[in-house]
Amino acid sequence: MNFFMDLIVGGLAIGACYALIALAMVIIYKTSEVPNFAQGEMAMLATFVAYTMMANYGAGFWTSVIITMVFAFALGALLEICFLRPAEDPGVLGAIVITLGAEMILYGIAGWKWGANQNPFPVPFSEYSGVTISGVVITEINFWTLTVSLAVMLILFLFFRFTKLGTAMKAVQQNPFAAKAMGIPTRRILTFTWGLSSMTGAIAGMLIAPIATLDPNMMLDPMLKGFAGGVLGGLTSLPGAAAGAYLLGIIENLFGGYVSLEFKSVVAFGVIVLILCVKPSGLFVKHYKRKV
Amino acid sequence: MKKRLKLALVLVVLSATLIPAQFGWAADKVRGVTDTEILIGQWGPQTGPAAAWGAVARGTGVFFDLVNEEGGIAGRKIKYFMRDDAYQPSKTKAIAKEFVENLGVFGVASGVGTSTGMAARDYLMENKVPWVGPATGSKHWSDPLQKYLFAVYPRYTDEASLLTQYLVEKLGKKKIAFFYQNDDYGKEGLEGAQNYAKRAGLQLAAEIPVEVTDTDLKSHALKLKESGAEAVILWILPKHAPIILGQAKAIGFEPQWVASSTLSDSHLMYKITKGLWEGVIYANFLNIESPLAKKYLEAQKKFAPNEQYTGIFFLAGFVFVEPMVEGLKRAGKDLTPDTFVKAMETIRNWNDWLGYDCTFTPQDHQGMKSTFISKCGPEGQQIKISDWMTYKGE
Repeated sequence: MNFFMDLIVGGLAIGACYALIALAMVIIYKTSEVPNFAQGEMAMLATFVAYTMMANYGAGFWTSVIITMVFAFALGALLEICFLRPAEDPGVLGAIVITLGAEMILYGIAGWKWGANQNPFPVPFSEYSGVTISGVVITEINFWTLTVSLAVMLILFLFFRFTKLGTAMKAVQQNPFAAKAMGIPTRRILTFTWGLSSMTGAIAGMLIAPIATLDPNMMLDPMLKGFAGGVLGGLTSLPGAAAGAYLLGIIENLFGGYVSLEFKSVVAFGVIVLILCVKPSGLFVKHYKRKV
Repeated sequence: MKKRLKLALVLVVLSATLIPAQFGWAADKVRGVTDTEILIGQWGPQTGPAAAWGAVARGTGVFFDLVNEEGGIAGRKIKYFMRDDAYQPSKTKAIAKEFVENLGVFGVASGVGTSTGMAARDYLMENKVPWVGPATGSKHWSDPLQKYLFAVYPRYTDEASLLTQYLVEKLGKKKIAFFYQNDDYGKEGLEGAQNYAKRAGLQLAAEIPVEVTDTDLKSHALKLKESGAEAVILWILPKHAPIILGQAKAIGFEPQWVASSTLSDSHLMYKITKGLWEGVIYANFLNIESPLAKKYLEAQKKFAPNEQYTGIFFLAGFVFVEPMVEGLKRAGKDLTPDTFVKAMETIRNWNDWLGYDCTFTPQDHQGMKSTFISKCGPEGQQIKISDWMTYKGE
């Protein structure tokens, strides 16, 4: 029983990281219908900034986090301005290719600036100890990862539902032309979206790095899993995508624990294929048909 | 019209005299060897999941600079080409082709990776490219024997057998689990542990695989814990070590960790595991206390002052290639792949290097067969806990 519960806790902990990535992708997807494949590398780069602040400039953890968030926002906004904006109506496929290009550039920059070695990422809470509930340990980092991911999800959900800016972002997605006609500055909204998404990703990066160690490859696997989780839950809904990511984390861990460790990573992609066949818009989303 | 005919005639005569001469010249020429240079290539992961091992190829570069500075080999300087394969076999194969077909190298030095090396092995052998010291302890380099391939790294199978033997006979451990990368590299380590266990009438408590791309190792740690192992042997990437040690500690599982020589840089491992590496027992193939190590690190300061990393993996770039340079010296001025092979096969119980007892014979191209065991100290320092040992199994 403990084994089972441990797997669930492990699944939730990694699922929370996937969820943050999924949320970051959903934010962009919601406004431009583009899955941003540079998301992982954006998060990795931001995490490196946090690491450099701490390791080279002796900044405290929270100071570094704040600086990193500012950096992440700027990075996201900059990518949108420099890469997506100049493209003349690239279409979804074109935009995806642009994000893939950005991904490679960011990966290259990180390798050039920080080298390919592993770096330990210190955090002010313990990776090894925490509370024990009937034999199952929930470490401090697990606890904070879960809490932060839920909080971010809630904040984003409220933001999209109840603020003017959030509503404007949704309008840009549903009909950019009409939104523009109604006086919404669609371009600036898009830039803001990228910044917001990049910040969410950076949080994921800083929560993954303490366990996985920081290097330019750190986000490759979590990013694909986050995307898979998002597709599982539905890329158009924040709570849906997050729930999908949690579910994926749990499925993966249970599969690894009881069926096969060799195929543990493959499960995520099996799940994507299955969902795309059965319910393409995602488990937790009403089927969405494009209105012409 | 007459003029044209004349020109054509001249051309025919010219080509008739020049082309055979050119062919004759090509037949005499040895690929990658000129009067002043020997061309040598190496691949190594400067990016990608195994980048920590990329230092090997950079170390070799400094070693060749040093050899050149000391006068080169029989009047020739080594010209070195380093390429990044990112630990992807498909890229390694392309690099091997570039080395042979575009650059025309004489030989290949070292090269990180078992599956990457396997992607290039047959191609290099078909083209008679001497290859010395793959930076991996796979048995595929010397079994079956390949004429132009010389293995330096002690075999993983022997190393894993030795480590298991040490755990059982010296430390009295009975329940031993094996945590391995799910490819040839990890599986050969596993095979070695199984060999010894079988001989000792034991069974491994668990055999847990990990994929190169995995990041979340919680379920792996739980499985290891469930096996009740007292010791766990690691045959994995450096990046997986901190994750598995951390995850295991978080679930209250703290066995005696034991590691392959591929994780033998205790300072680096100590740093990236945030201190969890202390007390880990691991195999070594490189004598870091040798005066040569000091000399090599001086050379690094001179030739590669910007090198960020100068640990074991960097020095490994020297040790894997030292026998190659010795072979080149012994082959002397008349250097062809065949004279080189003959010269290499005269190396017997050679100890003028960072390794131990290098021997090549026409029947056996496995140069080094010994390892020693160390323990990671409280500051990440290496504490030697055994002499050089050779596994005498089967």
